[in-house]
Amino acid sequence: MSAAEERREPGVKETPVVPPPPGSIADTFKKVLPDVEFGASQGVLDVVLTVPRQDIPRVMRAAKDDPRLAFDYLRCLSGIDQMEQGLEVVYNLYSFKHAHNVTIKTVLAADDPQVETVTTVWNGALWHEREAHEMFGIVFQGHPDLGPLLLEEGLGYYPLLKAHPLAEIEESQEDFLRAEAPAAAAAAGAAAPVDERAAKIALAQKKAEVMKKAREEARAKGLSPEDEKAFVQEALKSLEEGG
Amino acid sequence: MTIERELETIDVSFNVGPQHPATHGVFRMVLTVDGELVVDLEPVIGYLHRGAEKLSENCDYRQAIGFQDRTEYLAQFNAEQCYVIAVEKLMGLEVPERAEYIRVILTELNRIASHLMFMGAFSADLGIFGTLFMYAFREREHIQELFEEVSGDRMMYSYFRVGGLAWDVPDDFVERTRVVVQQTRQGIADIDGLLTQNEVLLARSRGIGVMSAEQAIDWGFSGPMLRASGVRHDLRRAEPYSIYDRLEFDIPVGEQGDVYDRYLVRLEEMRQSVRIVEQCLDQMPKDGPIVTAGLKRVLRPPAGEVYMRTENPRGEYGIYLVSKGADKPYRLKIRAPSFCHLSALRNMVIGHYMADAVIILGSVDIVLCEVDR
Repeated sequence: MSAAEERREPGVKETPVVPPPPGSIADTFKKVLPDVEFGASQGVLDVVLTVPRQDIPRVMRAAKDDPRLAFDYLRCLSGIDQMEQGLEVVYNLYSFKHAHNVTIKTVLAADDPQVETVTTVWNGALWHEREAHEMFGIVFQGHPDLGPLLLEEGLGYYPLLKAHPLAEIEESQEDFLRAEAPAAAAAAGAAAPVDERAAKIALAQKKAEVMKKAREEARAKGLSPEDEKAFVQEALKSLEEGG
Repeated sequence: MTIERELETIDVSFNVGPQHPATHGVFRMVLTVDGELVVDLEPVIGYLHRGAEKLSENCDYRQAIGFQDRTEYLAQFNAEQCYVIAVEKLMGLEVPERAEYIRVILTELNRIASHLMFMGAFSADLGIFGTLFMYAFREREHIQELFEEVSGDRMMYSYFRVGGLAWDVPDDFVERTRVVVQQTRQGIADIDGLLTQNEVLLARSRGIGVMSAEQAIDWGFSGPMLRASGVRHDLRRAEPYSIYDRLEFDIPVGEQGDVYDRYLVRLEEMRQSVRIVEQCLDQMPKDGPIVTAGLKRVLRPPAGEVYMRTENPRGEYGIYLVSKGADKPYRLKIRAPSFCHLSALRNMVIGHYMADAVIILGSVDIVLCEVDR
């Protein structure tokens, strides 16, 4: 390996979507369920299949019962908030019989996050689905008990959604709930009050920008550290006066 | 005169926990009993939920290693290993051989330490409190001291890094580890002699909390819980990661799937881990890099998703990692083995006596920080 290759930054490249190799588990799925629209790609470790949500019950039932697939083990079930693209539910399956893996994905619209439960196929999905429900608000139709599992009752928000802020957690959880009301008011036609927190953040960002610029300028001029400090202070002062 | 009267009985519900020594942490069981028989059980979890997944989304890739220690606080190296491998898979990184060997030595020792903790706590659950607990903790202490020498901490190691290790091990690491391995081998023999044929253990654990192989698979069991039910499955063998394809070890399995088998499987696993550590010490390169060259301080894995799973002391520990090319994970889901095992606790306990509920819970070997995350 050349020195230049050694020093290259790994991981800046975009991962291309690779179709799974011929004869992979994706082909078996297509053979078993020819009328389902599968989107298939080769993931880092497993083949990833995207399934329309109305086909989830059929696909999951076949995944377990068909002897060619025989996915008897639900490894993991995760929810992912993809923001504009909606909510994703990811099922990681494994077959002890054939020792093969597959990742099945389905995308739910953010305003209608409902999908059929898979607890009728694997008992192990019971708690995974409950967790995904309380963290993302995904409704698993037919689940026997979607009550809170890890969180307290009546929380009123879904913490793992990207819309739920984390920074300054004690305040912002309250803020988040309070922010709901003005947003609704704004939608009804009333003017939304000025968001103080957003204004503060914007000001801080602006200050950082000015400081960076002033420091670069001072360095270009070749000022001593003390003079550089004074120069930056001056720039900040003029920003405050100006703003 | 005769009085004919039927005795009316009602089922009684009561709480075990959340603060109770037999629940191994902060965990509540709502038991409903008919006399001494358990007719219903509802596990209540979430007391230790700290939102590790949400927090990880707001930390960069290196900072998120710390949450792994705090999630799986009895097998920290194993949890760290799973996480760093997940990031390495996304980035397509090769880890230097020496770092891989050190990682495997530490994770296998951590497995022994975790199982020793199980032995101690489980014997206390059985009512053999005292002697065995002390023996197990004495052995665990040897390993803990070694971990402290290596990582500088007794509990929150944060020693693994994406691409390798934080720093090299001390100069006398190999010799020290050989001593620890020797002590551990003797310690395992001591525990075997003390507990395996123990009258209390045999009387209380055989035929209790039975899960068949089909049930265990259906409920998502993994690790010793699955193997005790007779399924010969170990991720180190089934989907070898790191350097496990070069190492020889056996996979012990049980026959009945009861509490006693779970104990036996864990006991044998400790011996196998000793074997693995010894092979690693023999094969390990004397020197060489311990971290991949050319890594930037801030990691930005390319956009992609990976579900990485490793064989942890409690079972399959999984990290579902989604990257959007930024310096922070977009989504990090932790698949905790204890979480899956605990969801089946109700099925294992119903129909047993109240006192057995504690034994069955003990045999699951839960870590509640991992359950609640």
